[in-house]
Amino acid sequence: MKNPSGVLGSLLLFLVGMGAIIGAVRLHVGSPTEPQPGFFPLLAGISLIVLSSIIFFQEWLGYGQKKEAFGEVRRPALLLAVLIVLVAVLDRLGYVIGTFIASGLILRILDVKSWRVLIITSLGLSIGTYLLFDRLLGIDLPRGMLARFNL
Amino acid sequence: MDFLTNLSSGFAVALSPWNLLCAAIGALIGTAIGVLPGLGPPATVALLLPVTYKMEPASAIIMLAGIFYGAMYGGSTTSILLNIPGEAASVVTCLDGYKMARQGRAGAALGISAIGSFIAGTISVLGLSLVAPAIASFALKFGPPEYFSLVLLGLMMAVYLSEESIMKGLAMAALGILLGTVGIDPVHGATRFTFGISRLLDGFDFVVVAMGLFGIAEVLINLEAPEIRDIFKTSFQGLLPTREDWRRCWASVVRGSFIGFFIGVLPGGGAIISSFISYAVEKRVSKHPEEFGKGAIEGVAAPESANNAASTSSFIPLLTLGIPGNATIAMIFVALMIHGIRPGPMLLQEHPNLFWGVVASMYLGNLMLLGLNLPLIGFWVRLLRVPYHFLAVVVVIICLIGAYSVKNAVFDIGTMLAFGVTGYLMRKGGFPPAPLILAMILGPILERSLQQSLISSGGDPSLFIEKPISAALLGVAAFLMLTPILKRLWKPSRPVQNTY
Repeated sequence: MKNPSGVLGSLLLFLVGMGAIIGAVRLHVGSPTEPQPGFFPLLAGISLIVLSSIIFFQEWLGYGQKKEAFGEVRRPALLLAVLIVLVAVLDRLGYVIGTFIASGLILRILDVKSWRVLIITSLGLSIGTYLLFDRLLGIDLPRGMLARFNL
Repeated sequence: MDFLTNLSSGFAVALSPWNLLCAAIGALIGTAIGVLPGLGPPATVALLLPVTYKMEPASAIIMLAGIFYGAMYGGSTTSILLNIPGEAASVVTCLDGYKMARQGRAGAALGISAIGSFIAGTISVLGLSLVAPAIASFALKFGPPEYFSLVLLGLMMAVYLSEESIMKGLAMAALGILLGTVGIDPVHGATRFTFGISRLLDGFDFVVVAMGLFGIAEVLINLEAPEIRDIFKTSFQGLLPTREDWRRCWASVVRGSFIGFFIGVLPGGGAIISSFISYAVEKRVSKHPEEFGKGAIEGVAAPESANNAASTSSFIPLLTLGIPGNATIAMIFVALMIHGIRPGPMLLQEHPNLFWGVVASMYLGNLMLLGLNLPLIGFWVRLLRVPYHFLAVVVVIICLIGAYSVKNAVFDIGTMLAFGVTGYLMRKGGFPPAPLILAMILGPILERSLQQSLISSGGDPSLFIEKPISAALLGVAAFLMLTPILKRLWKPSRPVQNTY
């Protein structure tokens, strides 16, 4: 196997294509003269299967183009973990508190050592973006815990 | 005379204080994101869509368009001073721009790229003003079969001209079409691929998907490697090119402008390809090709002119045919739809003020960018010294707000993160994200026009080849699809070296 990430990608696409075909058949495909809701997804699914099969062999044999190699994945993984936790608690904590904590953690992941910089930046970002987007631009961001204090 | 009347009404719209401010803000933000490596125009336009919800449609599009062509101006600064392209379209500028900076001619390189961009932008806007009405009026003759073939051709060209593998581009387009079918089927009303999740009844939101694929994925990629920014310390004296510089590169600017204009009109063509082609053409026609790559000013002037001309002319297929040719234009398509405006041949008739207002704002925007780029060069260089971690946090937070603001739902933030991871893995596997987002947008149009055509012909698919325009468009699409196979048959390629 010459290009593992390309091979893996083609396999995932193949599975998505299979899923699309199964889903399309369940939806009822109809015929080219009388297409039903599953007709178009079926075409997309078949195309995906054909294309992913070609890509699989290309990547397996190393005919594909140059790829970006994986670098140090610790920081992207930690960032994602912080964001997933934030999604889980955002409604409860509210935007200002949630993003204050999340920005602090993200800055820490990004090797910001100074606590002063970390706290000031996080506070400035969470309050600044809240004032800009919620108060000025009217995007209704979640209040969470601060709703109790009418903030 | 009609042209001048329409353009003057456009200037009346663009010269209103609020619209002037929107154009200036767009140009400023565009230059900033062009200067800063790691955040491209598609992500920025997606991020700023929520800001435009409460604006007038013309003001919103004026600002978003400013971001796109502003980024083309800004991208050259990073290429010249850091040897890192601020924008993908400025990759080729690194070759000679950075060498010029090393030779103490950073000012001349920055100057010619700004002035060349201004000239190219202006030529391209003029071309847009003249060509777009004719295309729109021709496109009014299109029925569903012609539209089906046109959209299919648009998708094929976007894939064909993307810099990645054609097979992978096609696979991403197929995936995008599939993702575009999620939600309620517009013809039969059946729910498709929602898995019982009511939030998916309206389908995946393009803004959320684009923020994930372009914004979050970009941050994840950038976090992998430690930040290295070696800003070349140099003087910015003599920003205006000398008489000798002008003598050498005026023709390059003009050639770059025309190459950029024509390539930009093609779906998928855009700024990146035009910059590479114009560089190759300049090297071919130059009397001193050996100087290219060693600090030739023509190697900066031509690609910078081309990418700016292309960014403007890529509005033509959007505004006249309703077909976005690249990811940034796709986001502007979404912005128009959010404001209840359907891009296409009727846009010019139904919303002439918006069309001509945006066109006029481009003339003004180019002028503003010249004013922003040259005198503020010191500011842009200082901006480059802002550490990436601050930029990364700001991007992530704005992505969160942007995704949440679509439907005031945390679910959309989760969707954005899922697409962020998908985009990150796609980049690692060499799968291009732009065809996916284009196909997501064009898929429903393709499906609707296919079904309408089949219904009108009583299910006879020969309709697509009986109509001459449709047949011609399908012929070109088929040719594009077959080209890689024919190429392979003609000249079998060898396996590339494993890069892992």
